[in-house]
Amino acid sequence: MPEEILVIGGGPAGMNASVMLSEIGVNVTLVEKDSFLGGNPEKFKYKFLFPDLQPAENVIGELIKKTGNNSKVKVLLNSQISGFKQTGNKFDVAIKSPQGDENKIFNSVIVATGFEHFDPARDAKYSYQLFDDVIDIKDLEKMLGEGKFLRPSNGKPPRNVAFILCVGSRDRHVGNQYCSRVCCVVSVKQAIELKEHFPESDIFIFYMDIRTYGFFEDLYWEAMEKHDIQIVKGRVAEITSGPDNTVVCKGEDTLLRGPFEIPFDMVVLASGMEGGPQSLEMADKLGLEMDEHRFLKPRNITLSPFRSNIDGIFLAGACTGPKAISDAITEGAAAAMSAHIYAQKNP
Amino acid sequence: MEYDEKGVSIVPLDFKKEIFKEARKDFRYDEYVLGCLNCGVCTGGCPPHRFFDFSPRIVLQNLKTKDPELIWTMMDEYIWACFQCFTCAMICPFLNNPGGAIAILREIAVRRGFESARKVLKPYSRVLLKLTAYGNQLSPDMIQPDFFPDWGPDISYASADLKVKRKAIPMPTLQITNLSWDVSPEAMKELYEIFDESGVFKIIEAVDPSLYEIIMDIVEDVRSS
Ligand code: SF4
Ligand code: SF4
Ligand code: SF4
Repeated sequence: MPEEILVIGGGPAGMNASVMLSEIGVNVTLVEKDSFLGGNPEKFKYKFLFPDLQPAENVIGELIKKTGNNSKVKVLLNSQISGFKQTGNKFDVAIKSPQGDENKIFNSVIVATGFEHFDPARDAKYSYQLFDDVIDIKDLEKMLGEGKFLRPSNGKPPRNVAFILCVGSRDRHVGNQYCSRVCCVVSVKQAIELKEHFPESDIFIFYMDIRTYGFFEDLYWEAMEKHDIQIVKGRVAEITSGPDNTVVCKGEDTLLRGPFEIPFDMVVLASGMEGGPQSLEMADKLGLEMDEHRFLKPRNITLSPFRSNIDGIFLAGACTGPKAISDAITEGAAAAMSAHIYAQKNP
Repeated sequence: MEYDEKGVSIVPLDFKKEIFKEARKDFRYDEYVLGCLNCGVCTGGCPPHRFFDFSPRIVLQNLKTKDPELIWTMMDEYIWACFQCFTCAMICPFLNNPGGAIAILREIAVRRGFESARKVLKPYSRVLLKLTAYGNQLSPDMIQPDFFPDWGPDISYASADLKVKRKAIPMPTLQITNLSWDVSPEAMKELYEIFDESGVFKIIEAVDPSLYEIIMDIVEDVRSS
């Protein structure tokens, strides 16, 4: 009988796992809850990816093509896992999809349920949803993807824009103590994109620490020396409405100027990543462990970050913690290899 | 605080260490002072920060240095700019309570009768007197132009003809003006017991000895009545 592997989640990690397994002749069933493949990058129409600003289409579009037009990958959209039980070394899974309900035995399973963007409305001090000109990085990414650069409130070019880092991350009040790892570089990237579009505008980034780790640092340097973006150390304490249809950021410049209250035309909140309800649901249905940050918990975070607490079930991508698209793709490959080995050893 | 003619603090380092030890021993200290991201959110939300060179972030950071010298210096003037509104505690992403830490330091200054505490409490001696001697905080006759310039130009009107104005109040004020309401000697005696037991009288003796004497005269009168 040919090897059957179930992949749950059709984002970068799940798609890459499916493609790699298909290339070694494994039959893959890919279950995706949304009506499309591509996960958050597709949902929010990411346009350019850091660090090299290549079009997202090169990466996400490519993976969608390879997964969607693949005779070895059965893609089930708008679908759910409705039942799950272990039978011996295998897994008996009930899948509910628009094509009808089916039960199938799988040799192994890869969970790649991704992440959710933090909803900044949960932190009242940022006045998100109160003022049209306060948006977050996923909103801006979508706007940029659709070629919209203007202020949401009046459709005019912004004279100045503030990026506020660590929204929904590194904050016990919202329950997320961890760093979301990519929001610094996404903000820097978007600041550069805005500045290239509006060379006359002033762009500020308010930060606690700039965490553009590894080669992402290149973008940070570029932002300062090529685009003259102002980087201010201090977290914004409050956003209120200002004169002349502006929004005012209030905080402390902890290095230089002390208190500041600056009116901006547009404020962009660098909202972080959360595990999301879909990972919780999988933990429930499959018996997976969650960690204290409400992401899925790998068996050993260093030795086997793609292995779950259950033999035969593997994890890939942002469902185990915030990470960049490239890391999710790498983990998809690692989980594919491990799932294949498990299937081979437990025929 | 005490300085020599060159402006160098003459308070011995050991004493400063003792003061910091006293603060750290406070049962609230470890709850109020956790880590610190040095993010400035507390300061951004702090009302006095807009008017003075004052930052709860710096208070927290100074405490984290564990340098008794730095902490001593803050107790002189710096920490007295705080309004004790606790906005900082509500918004700190680390769940620190800089305002609470300041309260711990201030309580030490008051308990030990430091010059800084005396200076700050001086304008409140009338309030302290009324409060400890009679259990009232403000009485009508205290509302005089000299003491409440911030009440605006109509303060003279408010303080004139008090007796007549008090009659117009429907509540049973007994038409007195030196107290907000009449306090029975029994209630006063009980009050003194509380201030004795809780150490309030001792604190007043430390920060304002002459006020203490005035209060004690009244206390003795009431107790012997
Ligand atoms: S990546 Fe940057 S913005 Fe995001 S949580 Fe970490 S430090 Fe904050
Ligand atoms: S409690 Fe003090 S330090 Fe904290 S916000 Fe209020 S005034 Fe500022
Ligand atoms: S808000 Fe909290 S973490 Fe930030 S500087 Fe103030 S005390 Fe430190």
